[in-house]
Amino acid sequence: MNKIDIDSKKITITSSKEIYIYDEDDTERIYNIEEKVLLKIYHYNVDSNAKVIININTEGAEVEYHYSTISYKDNSFKIEVNHNRKNTISNIYNHGVNILNNKLHFDISGIVKKNIKNCTCNQENQIINISDGDSTILPILLIDNYDVSSSHSAYIGKFREDILFYLMSRGISRDISTKLLIYSLLVNDSEDSEELIKFKNKIENI
Amino acid sequence: MLDINKITVITKDSKKEIIKDLSLKINDGEVHAIMGPNGTGKSTLSKVIMGNYKYELTKGDILFNNKSIIDLEVDERAKLGIFLAMQDPTVVDGVTNSEFLKTATTEITKERINYFDFIKGIDKCLNDLELSEDMIHRSLNKGFSGGEKKKNEILQLKMLKPKFIILDEIDSGLDVDSLKIVCSNINDYLKDNKDTSLLIITHYPRILEYIKPDYVHIMTDGKIKKTGDIDLAFTTEKEGYNSINEVRGKSSNE
Repeated sequence: MNKIDIDSKKITITSSKEIYIYDEDDTERIYNIEEKVLLKIYHYNVDSNAKVIININTEGAEVEYHYSTISYKDNSFKIEVNHNRKNTISNIYNHGVNILNNKLHFDISGIVKKNIKNCTCNQENQIINISDGDSTILPILLIDNYDVSSSHSAYIGKFREDILFYLMSRGISRDISTKLLIYSLLVNDSEDSEELIKFKNKIENI
Repeated sequence: MLDINKITVITKDSKKEIIKDLSLKINDGEVHAIMGPNGTGKSTLSKVIMGNYKYELTKGDILFNNKSIIDLEVDERAKLGIFLAMQDPTVVDGVTNSEFLKTATTEITKERINYFDFIKGIDKCLNDLELSEDMIHRSLNKGFSGGEKKKNEILQLKMLKPKFIILDEIDSGLDVDSLKIVCSNINDYLKDNKDTSLLIITHYPRILEYIKPDYVHIMTDGKIKKTGDIDLAFTTEKEGYNSINEVRGKSSNE
């Protein structure tokens, strides 16, 4: 699978790719998938807003989007996945850590129109409030076809106390246990890209 | 080693009294077992010793090597050498077993890990416990069978080298062969660490056939009702917990 870096706002996808993105500034991107490909995007965001539109324009195409963010001030992430052809798949994973008492908002939409059948449209969303932040998630599925497999989940809260108890019972302090859990939430199974290394450094400095 | 002095414990949410005026003294190198029916407070006692967030100690004190530990955080108690092998180890998705053990070892020893020794140590433990090598790279307790979870607790014990061990129903969910492996590893650990004390919490005396206790305590209604030697465990199994009255036998606690 190819690996490319993304700088432009509109990206046309014609071959299978893994894309790694690291943002510290507000961004907007539109992906147009024009071939039957598998697109994997690992998007690491630090304290900024992001807006993403994915148009799946080819039958049989598949997209996997992993969004991970560390947020200190008020921030939002909006992603819209348009299934414009039948037999298409989207799996969207959005994980955020809201460090301070600010707002972190996820607005996540999966859209399948009336004549677009046999699609899979899934999303999984989690925001962990480290302090007492005001986090919100809008998990939206606009499905206008009966022949679609779709799911969504949303969790906002703190790390579970029973998990922290388990880690701490082995001598790991609360702070380091929390950092381990932040890693597990935000760092997925992608390869150790340059973007991920930068992101890991940011986690280390939380 | 551990001196539990007349503690009363309530749950933080419902304020229900679980343990009432309980005392127990465990000296260096002793093996104690607590038996009792379901819901009598045995597991709660183990969690209270470890400092679980769900419980509040309203009376009494817990001393570890003559120092009170009731105001210490969970990790501080672990760093003193207290280890709780849990009845149902928590799944921590995304944190690998090896990452977890590396972090815990660094925290406990306060030294940088010698990776060669660390890997060698893990390999030996996996071999001793007849665990597959791949489980060290899997998320902590995720997708582990009941037996693997229990063996993984013992793997952690062997790597972290505690001074006071609590086994909370380590025998539940283990088949006979796995129980023998787990018990043999614990016995080897005790043989190599003579001052280490052990508290076994169990429903059944089967585990006590493999790890011989110095004292057996029968706990009902949040209290230790009777203390004796291993014969007490077998008598209780035969006669049931209802036969236990409040008359105490000879004990290290008297």
